Amino acid sequence: MIEAWFYLLFFPGLIFQVICGLIFEWLDRKLLARFQRRVGPPWYQPLADMVKLFSKEDLLPEGVNDLVATLLPIVSLSAILTAGLYIPIAGFSPYSFEGDLIVILFLLSVPTLAYYLAGVVSVGIYSTLGGGRSLLQFFSYEVPLLIALSGPAILSGSWSVKQIMVSQATLGPFILFQPLGFLLAIVGLIGKLKRDPLDIPKAKSEVVGGPLTEFTGAKLAFWHLGMNIQAVLGIFLLVNLYLGWSKGANPLLTIPVFIVECLVLVVLLSGASAIFARLRIDQLAGLGWRILVPLGLLQLGFVILMGV
Amino acid sequence: MNKISIPIGPQHPLLKEPLSMQIDISGEKVLGGSLRLGYVHRGIERLAEQRTYVQNVHLIERICGICSHIHTTTFCHAVERLLEIDVPQRAYYIRAMMCELERVHSHLLWLGIIAKHVGLDTIFMHTWHDRELALDIMEELSGGRVSHATNQIGGVRFDLTDHQEAMIRTTITDLSLRVNNLLDVIKNEPALQARTRGVAKVSPEMIHQYCVVGPVARASGVDVDFRRDDPLPPYDQLDFNVITHNDGDAWARTVIRAEEARESLILCERILNEMPDGPVHVRAPRRVPEGEVVIRSEAPRGELFYYLRSDGSDKPARLKIRTPTLAALSLLPKQLSSIQVADIPVVMAGIDLCIACADR
Repeated sequence: MIEAWFYLLFFPGLIFQVICGLIFEWLDRKLLARFQRRVGPPWYQPLADMVKLFSKEDLLPEGVNDLVATLLPIVSLSAILTAGLYIPIAGFSPYSFEGDLIVILFLLSVPTLAYYLAGVVSVGIYSTLGGGRSLLQFFSYEVPLLIALSGPAILSGSWSVKQIMVSQATLGPFILFQPLGFLLAIVGLIGKLKRDPLDIPKAKSEVVGGPLTEFTGAKLAFWHLGMNIQAVLGIFLLVNLYLGWSKGANPLLTIPVFIVECLVLVVLLSGASAIFARLRIDQLAGLGWRILVPLGLLQLGFVILMGV
Repeated sequence: MNKISIPIGPQHPLLKEPLSMQIDISGEKVLGGSLRLGYVHRGIERLAEQRTYVQNVHLIERICGICSHIHTTTFCHAVERLLEIDVPQRAYYIRAMMCELERVHSHLLWLGIIAKHVGLDTIFMHTWHDRELALDIMEELSGGRVSHATNQIGGVRFDLTDHQEAMIRTTITDLSLRVNNLLDVIKNEPALQARTRGVAKVSPEMIHQYCVVGPVARASGVDVDFRRDDPLPPYDQLDFNVITHNDGDAWARTVIRAEEARESLILCERILNEMPDGPVHVRAPRRVPEGEVVIRSEAPRGELFYYLRSDGSDKPARLKIRTPTLAALSLLPKQLSSIQVADIPVVMAGIDLCIACADR
């Protein structure tokens, strides 16, 4: 019983994920700043932002259903935190079971839907526009992402993230067999996180703040925190699925390797947001369905042939 | 889908200065828009009639925060022409150098803004960092980064020292390298081109119809530059290229500004090389003889038009200013049809609005 509470509250549950989310946000902002010849924020900036947002007045425009607007960020954050329980961290995963990859992917698509609903319930024009865009974006990145992530599962013959990771100890890291799948997964992840260059639903110069335009205070803090934790989980997931040579034999070696791999992915994500311009929504749909899906299918065919 | 109307402005992240647009959209398609101006109207033309010519130089400098120098230059030329005084050549050259530096920093500022609007914050940060070099030179010379107070009627307020000239030369060399590098980057950046190519095309006929001037006109293949067509001194003695493009889309407007910035830097060096010796200022009488004069000059955004009428007193009887942005603004609602919502920032930034100039 105490063990279960520890898992839920501390590791790999709430506290650990929140800290990781804040660290990720700081790293991301700092790296981006250095790419852009700026100094960047000090390490406690994300925490300070959170505290500040929590101390702000919580306002909603007239005509918005208060209950729904309060529930949406909470549901979104809880789905993300729950997904985090099933993702192995440096080989440690208390609740692993066969098929948890599908559960994780389902739970991680809840925030996008909540994000869309946030746009619909807040009555502003920019929110509605951003909400529509986020749904369109969802259809563009989700299919290539799922196709890409099913590659490692098929190659290892298991739909459990832990099993996939363990099987890479014998087969070799899957990034060697599926470089294309890895690339697609990163593009999908960027789309999922609505990060630059796929920040179409919240493009500031076009739709102001997207679905979150009308949110303030603690609700906004929950949204931001959720997005950052989601980024961390996405990175953990990709490290487990594609870079899984940290199989858990020696924790002194496994943990540093895991951290280094995560940092590499953080640099990749920050680099992508520094060097690419934002796409238009029609360009993203074209990219998703004309380029990413065929490439994903190609990769999948290769994986299936390898398995045979 | 239903037609909805989104407000852009008076306060919006897209805008740096207040301007209001109501844009009708249907889904992601833009159907049209209407424009409302006047949020930064300060009545400068009327104020100018109540102040002396000497005071007006400082008033007119405050019309714009980006192209402040070209406004005072044009005004001083107008007054000097009415006074019929001989301004020293060296003063003209110093004025021209400030004009070119102003063009460089205005164009770099604009390039940063268009990059920011398509989501390329990195280019935004780098161009604005490079732009600081041009501002550094202007600060070194005049002491001011935004309002330079370079001009006075009858010349300029300061002379170049040898030390300053050396500093300008090294900074310009450095800045040219960076502008070339920037040009290289934007020409090889596929995502930027995907967002700007073919967006908001303007034909030369439309340019003529709406009297659009400056880089927007030159990007559509209309060869107009008042530094060459109706030169104020010293441009009649200087040799420079006028850059035109034929595409007429947002991409052409992007490239043309980077190329003009490069050309202006070359011109700056030429001005430094050909700068004659001598005084930089002559004493001008306070009262201006009766008469009227029209002066046109090439501001960073295009033709700047000053009409000045004097009744023989020390205050102007009438000062009329027509800024290049006003012409471009009339084209804006026209451009905002059959584009996507995502193209609105590209279109609005593409004509390089300077609302403070347009409203005055």
